[in-house]
Amino acid sequence: MATLQATARRGHRRLVRHTLDLKLSPYAYIAPFFLLFCAFGVFPLIFTAWVSLHEWTLTSDVHTFVGADNFTTLLGDGYFWNATFNTFSIGIISTVPQLVLAIWLAHLLNRPLRAQTFFRITLLVPNVTSVVAVVVIFSQLFGRDYGLINWMLSWFGIDGVAWAEGTATSHVAISAMIMWRWTGYNALIFLAAMQAVPKELYEAATLDGASNLTQLRKITIPMIRPTIVFVVTVSTIGAMQILAEPLLFGAGSGAGGITSGGPDHQFQTLALYVYDLGFNKFDFGYASAASWVMFLFVVLAAGVNYLLTRRMGGAFK
Amino acid sequence: MATPYSQARRFGRLAVPVLTASALALALAACGGEAPSATTAGKPAEKVTLSIALFGDFGFKPLYEEYKKTHPNVEIVERVTQFNDHHNNLVKRLATNAGAADVEAVEVGYISSFTAQADKFHDLKQYGLDKRQSDYLDWKWQQGLSKDGSKLLGLGTDVGGLAMCYRKDLFEKAGLPTDREKVAELWPTWEQYIETGKKFASGVKDAKFVDSPGEIFRAIVNQAPVGLYDAQDQIVVATNPEVKKAWDLSNQLTQNDLTAKLAAFSPPWNTGFAKGSFATIICPAWMTGYIQEQAKDATGKWDIAKVPGGSGNSGGSHLMLPKQGKHPKEAAELIDFLTSKDNQARVFKEEGTFPSIPALYDDPSIQSFTKPFFGDAPIGKIYSDAARNLKPQHLGPKEGDVRIAIGDGLGRVEQGKQTPDEAWAQVVADVQKIK
Amino acid sequence: MRRRLTYLTLLAVAFFSVFPLYYSVVVASRHNSALAEVPPPLLPGGNFFANVARVFDTVPFAMALLNSFLVAGSIAVAVMFFSTLAGFAFAKLSFRGKNILLLVTVATMMVPAQLGIIPLYMLMVKIEWTGSMYALVVPALVNAFGVFFMTQYLSRALPTELLEAGRVDGATTWRLFWHVVLPTARPAAAVLGMLTFMSAWNDYFWPLVVLTPENPTVQVALSTLASGYVNDYVLGLSGTAVGTLPLILVFIVLGKQIIGGIMQGAVKG
Repeated sequence: MATLQATARRGHRRLVRHTLDLKLSPYAYIAPFFLLFCAFGVFPLIFTAWVSLHEWTLTSDVHTFVGADNFTTLLGDGYFWNATFNTFSIGIISTVPQLVLAIWLAHLLNRPLRAQTFFRITLLVPNVTSVVAVVVIFSQLFGRDYGLINWMLSWFGIDGVAWAEGTATSHVAISAMIMWRWTGYNALIFLAAMQAVPKELYEAATLDGASNLTQLRKITIPMIRPTIVFVVTVSTIGAMQILAEPLLFGAGSGAGGITSGGPDHQFQTLALYVYDLGFNKFDFGYASAASWVMFLFVVLAAGVNYLLTRRMGGAFK
Repeated sequence: MATPYSQARRFGRLAVPVLTASALALALAACGGEAPSATTAGKPAEKVTLSIALFGDFGFKPLYEEYKKTHPNVEIVERVTQFNDHHNNLVKRLATNAGAADVEAVEVGYISSFTAQADKFHDLKQYGLDKRQSDYLDWKWQQGLSKDGSKLLGLGTDVGGLAMCYRKDLFEKAGLPTDREKVAELWPTWEQYIETGKKFASGVKDAKFVDSPGEIFRAIVNQAPVGLYDAQDQIVVATNPEVKKAWDLSNQLTQNDLTAKLAAFSPPWNTGFAKGSFATIICPAWMTGYIQEQAKDATGKWDIAKVPGGSGNSGGSHLMLPKQGKHPKEAAELIDFLTSKDNQARVFKEEGTFPSIPALYDDPSIQSFTKPFFGDAPIGKIYSDAARNLKPQHLGPKEGDVRIAIGDGLGRVEQGKQTPDEAWAQVVADVQKIK
Repeated sequence: MRRRLTYLTLLAVAFFSVFPLYYSVVVASRHNSALAEVPPPLLPGGNFFANVARVFDTVPFAMALLNSFLVAGSIAVAVMFFSTLAGFAFAKLSFRGKNILLLVTVATMMVPAQLGIIPLYMLMVKIEWTGSMYALVVPALVNAFGVFFMTQYLSRALPTELLEAGRVDGATTWRLFWHVVLPTARPAAAVLGMLTFMSAWNDYFWPLVVLTPENPTVQVALSTLASGYVNDYVLGLSGTAVGTLPLILVFIVLGKQIIGGIMQGAVKG
């Protein structure tokens, strides 16, 4: 009798422990992630908004509340709008051809080929290379007087392109660095999606006499639309945050202040402008305001592109 | 998509232990990293590592070895960063109380913004360095004092008395005289310098007259009694006619297509030296070291003449002692050593940076000093004269930032993006924003 | 014919992918004066090791390599562990608020990291971590992508029956995690670890802001080299080569698995 009771009590305790385990342990498992994430991810994000409402610099301990002053100054700041233009310009020049090229490369790889692994690995080598290395290398390649690219252009009678000087040319040079680093990576993502497309679709299309290009347009692209939407969104967000390329490109071509993106701010992106304000001028309040508006642009650009790519996919159907 | 999983599985066996091992190593390193400095205090030969942060080659390397002879327990680590980054980093380090080197070099364009933060640096008088006052050029000494003059915060290294370096071979090609006295007669004024440039351009097509207008602008401004700031530390860029004059003259170089469009201290500029892309360059004493370093194969081709427009100073530095350092005594001794009379003379002979100690200007070994690289030009005499005749100019706290804003303006004109007037309007607006 | 064209195109792409790296080695193995030669040099010279020695003289590169290795290594291990833990909860356990929490996690993947960098810097100043490797490691111990990646993997690869069988035998959740989940998760976790390692190794912006050139990671040391007082391409590219080649070698050896991982993550993405 007593033993039976004891067993029952033990059983009950186990049951309680079991229920607790089931109910609570999931929270324990996600807790490290959310705690660290809140401390170093969410808190700074929200605090940026608070700082942006103040006159707040690194060198002074006095933080004056100024309301929306930083934001109104920002709207009238020519350099901010210049940086906005540059960001979108470089974003478009680097992203659009890159994605087209990536889809085409994936399409080429999506057939029985020898040395698949070799091709895939070489495609990804640029992505493994650090952005610092990429810019150092490309700044040399894009040199005005003794760069390899100008040397090759001279065969066609084009001499001494000053890549860093012009607005358009500097955007092209920076876009080339971004494209080189990311095209292969995106091609592999597209390839993964393409491999999930049923082979029968292509076989039927071939029987109908559809050309390779038609198959790409009519079958592949509509079928991998979700992946395209994903890649476009991620690329847009990435393109809005370009910083290291213009920063180091400026250092390599010898602009006075290397955070200005050339003497005419011709390749100063939003991220670089924020960096200049925050960590060169130490004007944290103003830089935070610029960060928030930049974030707004990111959301806007990503949203528009999301809608556009979805529509585009639809048009092919 | 089955294959990647199975590949990944094999790979997983390898990667997990490797990554775990490196994490463990970090934990160990983190524990081990805290220990030094505190434990051995009190013993006579405590091991001391001094860091010294510079923004270029100061020619100090051989001196460290010498210092170690008298301080066998001291190890010296030199850190070199880009000019703007270096000074910006120092602002950041002082504000965050972390990361400053034991000894920090500060260029004259930034010195007054740091002497204004007297509480962040040791007063070198504490270490008896006020004994050095009689050694120095008075204005150089004054620049190292705190605002109220009560504390000694920095000890001068060099001054940048001005001269003009030029390529004899290119001058000859252009049909210009090559003798340094005759060359100096070509350009008593900056207007005549530009005229000489035009003559040069009509004779030589594959090289330009000057590297870029930026440093020329700085030199012209520095020759004026008042520069970018007035004595009350107000920026007077927009109102000082001397600044506008320097701006106009510099832009005339651009407008007459006399510049090689090579921004100073950029990699293409370096290559320009090696290829002889330009015939003249403004030459504060420290520049001679760069020319020699960059144009290694050009021995005997460069020479040095008097600068147009009278004497002036461009550049020069101080060494400062941030309070963050753990070994202020040794660091102060290092500053004293590196700036001593003998060592300033030695650094000049090897590196070209010119002493800020007037007694050396009459020293026969300096007076008679020549360099084969510069065609045996009497550089000791040239720079002694330049330094003696210097009229010091008051420099403001954000001198460096103002210079960048103006340099960008000159760059916009040089790159054909704006007319000089448009660029000037933008410079004035940019400078107003500097707080 | 078309096949040959495909191969030729892919070979050309492979060439362009590798050439800039190759060219950086060519420049790094020569003397500064070679940069101004016309035509430019296309074959390596004999100065590589002399230039690399110069790199180690100019910046604390050995320390930078060690720092990068330790930082990237510990971040990778932490991300693997915490992501598997959270991924397991999201994929196989039921709890209140699960869907909304997962949605929040995925949504934050879209927020640019740069937005919070100023307050994060101020935080590091406050707790006196500027210049320290903790400033790099601690904020990076978890990331949303890792959690998402492991959730995806475990919901597919971990058989629910196996967990149920374990429960019937009286195993606690923690035991299940340790004996069932971890072994299953290992291949994906390894891929995640490698990806995390590489991105931590290559991270630039945050280390640049928070570290000092005295105690740098490889990328910070490289940018110091690339923007020294007098810029020197040969020196910059030599540093680039030393800082990049180890990673490239690792990648070539393990490339197949890493690519598999990226492509896997992509399908469901």
